[in-house]
Amino acid sequence: MNLFLILPFFVVMVLVAMGLYVALFKKNLIKIIMGITLMQNGANLFLVSLAYREGYVAPIWTSAPATDMVLPTPHALTLTSIVIGVATTALMLSFVIMLKRHYGTIDSNEVRRCRE
Amino acid sequence: MNIATHLPSFILGIPLLFAFLTPIANKFSKEIRNAVFLTGLLLTGLFVGLMAYEVYTTGGWVYIFGAQDPVGELTTESLFRITFVADGFSTLATLTIIITAIGAAFYSLGYMKESPGMGKYYTLFLLTLAGVNGMVLTSDLFNLFVWFEVTSIASCALVAYHNERGKSVEAALKYMIISVVGGLLLLVSIGLFYGEYGVLNYALIGDSVHGSFIDLLAIGIIMVILAMKASSVPMHMWAPDAYAEAPEPITPFIAITSLGALFVLFRLIFFVFRGAVEPPALGTILIFLGVLSMFVGVSMALKQSDIKRLIAYLSVSQIGYMMMAVGVGFATLDTADYGSFGAMAIEGGFFHMINDGVYKALLFLSAAAVIYATKIRDLNKLGGLAHNMPYTTFFFIIGALSIAGIPPLSGFSSKLLIYESVYLYHPILAIIALVVSIITLALVAKVFFNAFLGPDQKMSKGEVPSSMLIAMGILTAVVILFSLFPHYVVSEIVVPAMESLGVGA
Amino acid sequence: MKWKMSVIVRTVSDVMVVPIIVFGIYLILHGHLTPGGGFQGGAVVASATALLIVSNGALKDYKGDFSTMESAGLTFFFLLAFLGIVMGFAMFYNSLAGTGGIFGGTVMSGINPGYINTGGTVPLMNIVVGMEVIAALSLILWMMAKNSGMMEVEK
Repeated sequence: MNLFLILPFFVVMVLVAMGLYVALFKKNLIKIIMGITLMQNGANLFLVSLAYREGYVAPIWTSAPATDMVLPTPHALTLTSIVIGVATTALMLSFVIMLKRHYGTIDSNEVRRCRE
Repeated sequence: MNIATHLPSFILGIPLLFAFLTPIANKFSKEIRNAVFLTGLLLTGLFVGLMAYEVYTTGGWVYIFGAQDPVGELTTESLFRITFVADGFSTLATLTIIITAIGAAFYSLGYMKESPGMGKYYTLFLLTLAGVNGMVLTSDLFNLFVWFEVTSIASCALVAYHNERGKSVEAALKYMIISVVGGLLLLVSIGLFYGEYGVLNYALIGDSVHGSFIDLLAIGIIMVILAMKASSVPMHMWAPDAYAEAPEPITPFIAITSLGALFVLFRLIFFVFRGAVEPPALGTILIFLGVLSMFVGVSMALKQSDIKRLIAYLSVSQIGYMMMAVGVGFATLDTADYGSFGAMAIEGGFFHMINDGVYKALLFLSAAAVIYATKIRDLNKLGGLAHNMPYTTFFFIIGALSIAGIPPLSGFSSKLLIYESVYLYHPILAIIALVVSIITLALVAKVFFNAFLGPDQKMSKGEVPSSMLIAMGILTAVVILFSLFPHYVVSEIVVPAMESLGVGA
Repeated sequence: MKWKMSVIVRTVSDVMVVPIIVFGIYLILHGHLTPGGGFQGGAVVASATALLIVSNGALKDYKGDFSTMESAGLTFFFLLAFLGIVMGFAMFYNSLAGTGGIFGGTVMSGINPGYINTGGTVPLMNIVVGMEVIAALSLILWMMAKNSGMMEVEK
């Protein structure tokens, strides 16, 4: 087995695990959002790595035979998920800005007033 | 070409189109904006009704986006097109969603009349509607992820509508972080399915799943994420905060996104997961989650004194009934027990879903009327509202008796089906369900005594505005309709939904 | 808090805004031929807004304009999607491709530099999505910079 074909999946595992760790165990809200962004990148890399087929060409309309093209579906999925990622990150960051203005802190231990 | 085949795309496209027309109309005047919003909503309702008629007369169909022939076969070239299914189950789901949406919309018109930024509010309302509709209609795994995220973003922004209150933003951020992490794990598990089978369509994956390790991993992740979105215990921690902090008129609609996720979970279980896992094993997990939600939800509700948080916990416990009932039905699939009580359990579960969507909305809205009239949310400080607000009191009684399962209201009909069937599966389940139901009755009685009965303390200046009463009236009418003709609802709406999932009645 | 960079930075960024916007528009218009498209081009154009905010620390009140542009872009997008139904096919069907007229040319086969008058509704959708993304990302940057105290709103 070619090592370079499975290397991306190791990177995906590392990225998603790191992202989950940061999102679950860090107290700073900005760091939590950074962890989520890491997970997003991991998920996107996973989809792109799935699309790779050895010896196949990019799916662009030229004279290349259609049988030798990779399917562009995962790339379309990745683009969509990048766009969604931008929207979610922007929304979460705006929430953090608002919280900072209301509470004066972005520590997740101190931002916990719903239960009172 | 029959124009009726396009109905699924209208149900999705009309709310989206009007969602973006609303801010433009907002530049002109409030009245034009409200008219545009209501037109979009009522058109969607009309198309949902037409789709229901079409499904019940001609049977279901699959709509293929971007194809030359929208109802053609999926060929190798069009394998990755987005498909929507119009069948009995979609109809059950979209009907539940649109009834609640119409109630919440009319209520918003009165309740939020003076609030700023209502152009954005109505846009987000229609976006959430489109997102939930897309979630329940789609039969493509990646498209499910897209609508999952659209729903999350729009409903989180709605929860944070009162951004002058720190708590609202906090609840929204909590909901958002949980939804986004859930959405990303969902994406990873969709990638797992794609990597193994090379397709994304529910039906095509359902044909090829066989229970390998990758399958089970992906199924486990998807189930956890959708149960989280459905606010099932132990992933319920976002729900009470979000429900309590959201603007009052929109709360039932935020709760409907949870119900939408539950619809998606059931569709996936019957369409996709059925081939990969042993029915008893998956059914037991569902029953376990259901019992946990019922019990934890209702016992957390016991100690709440905030009227909205109390109803929020009750709604968590109601989710448990559906999961338990459908779990019992799924566990008995392909055995002789299915004919004797499994089908009845699924019937009860599905009937409870549409019931729950409506009476929960009624409860949330009548609680909102109390908050609107008194500006108080603490049950210990309320009292004597029945003197000034007779209609609200009546609407609250209908909703409260229905959630507690008191005959002859609709909640009783669905709960009776659940009790009878789960008793035959295991008696202890029926006992837990009954006990939870009794505690629910005690809780709503407590709310009723605290808020409505007692000497008149002159807390409210009178009844709430008429548009809010109309909204609650519509929902009450639906609850009473379901109460009067439960058999008709089961045979006309619930049974087609079961048949479209491949399980007979 | 008034944030303002040195006159060199401000002058250079004022000049650089023009090629950035032109490149973004190029990406949007050639989205169906080369890598790029509505979102990518729109993000490039919105980076011009970011550059102006960071270097000047102030920007005029474009909130209403951005909001209208965003809604208009998305409205046109869904109208284009419904065009498929109007023409008698499914929603989102590319009913303009290969019919002559605007963006209706025939796609050449073989290795070629690409012909811009092709693609049907795809380039049109790229343009409206580009509009939407320019407006939405600029609006996000504007609001965040204003609310975090990084930027002043010019009268």
